[in-house]
Amino acid sequence: MNKDMKILVVDDFSTMRRIIKNLLRDLGMTNVLEADDGQTALPILKQGGIDFLVTDWNMPGMTGIDLLKEVRSDPNLAAMPVLMVTAEAKKEQIIAAAQAGVNGYVVKPFTAAVLKEKIDKIFQRLG
Amino acid sequence: MISDTGSGLSHFEMELQLKAQELVSVLNEGKLSDAMEIIRELHEFRHQTFFSEVGHLTRGLHEAIKSFSSELGRSLDVDGTPQTETDAAERLNYVIEMTEKNAHETMDRVDRALTFVDKLDKQSERFKDLLLLVGQLEKEHDSLNGVYDRTCALKEESEQTISTLREELTDIVVSQSYQDITGQLIRRVINLVTNVEDHLVALMGMAAQVERISGVEMSAESEDEQTNNKNPIQAEGPQIKKERADVVSDQDEVDDLLSSLGF
Repeated sequence: MNKDMKILVVDDFSTMRRIIKNLLRDLGMTNVLEADDGQTALPILKQGGIDFLVTDWNMPGMTGIDLLKEVRSDPNLAAMPVLMVTAEAKKEQIIAAAQAGVNGYVVKPFTAAVLKEKIDKIFQRLG
Repeated sequence: MISDTGSGLSHFEMELQLKAQELVSVLNEGKLSDAMEIIRELHEFRHQTFFSEVGHLTRGLHEAIKSFSSELGRSLDVDGTPQTETDAAERLNYVIEMTEKNAHETMDRVDRALTFVDKLDKQSERFKDLLLLVGQLEKEHDSLNGVYDRTCALKEESEQTISTLREELTDIVVSQSYQDITGQLIRRVINLVTNVEDHLVALMGMAAQVERISGVEMSAESEDEQTNNKNPIQAEGPQIKKERADVVSDQDEVDDLLSSLGF
């Protein structure tokens, strides 16, 4: 896993963005950008240079699942690893996220160990 | 003449039976025009009864909405004009803001604490150099025998404590996610409250119209009662509008007020 990779954290709650940023910092990843919903995230992604997307689901404007679909349908972004970190815990939702092509799914509230494990797993799989 | 029907539908049934008997008796006497008149009266009677019942029902609804909306903190006008934001929604938004602010303050403190942990880590590095020196000296002085090993063990123990401390601090940061979780739930309730209010406004408008048509008036008295009867010292919980003239903004104001009262 490249520690210098550029990560975009998308969540409408600044508290959660900060928590995720802190945990990423513990993993040695400090190159982190933030956005507060899909609508603000998408232009940042389209500009290029983002290596990893961590997004919430339930956000005003554009939700995380719609953002994920946008990412997968854009040929420039389609291969980007996406981790969903959300309070949405219905099986149907998790299945929908998986079908939309999510790489990992963490349900809030989570522990530091779980988030780290999922991130590790994503990058192990990608090699 | 049919008497007042406001007292309810049981009265309606009684009147109906009386009229029916009357109808039978005039028909038996062959007075057809009288019979037609009774049928007409029955018609009107039924109409009036239902109209009046609907009027009373509406009025009850109107009163219920009024008292509910005063609980919500938004006064609904009789013509159903909504006001912008309700106290209820505002208070809930305040909870989100407050918890967000506090979560960040907690994380600020944890960040500061983590810089001290980093410092401890660095000190531990410097300790290593000193230990090497102790190791050298130990060979030269018998009296120092075993000091190196014991100090090494202590250093390891201390490093273990630092690492546990770091984990605990990280857990404090992660546990701030309650703010996100509760915030999302509160937002849902805000939406619900707003929805209920919008529907109430619509119902209120309908109720006012029905009241006008049916002639059941809201007495001005009962409206005044609702606004004026509020106990000024009733517990209201935390104040979110500190700039309000009737609310103190900090402890100093409390002390000033009390000292002005001779305390």
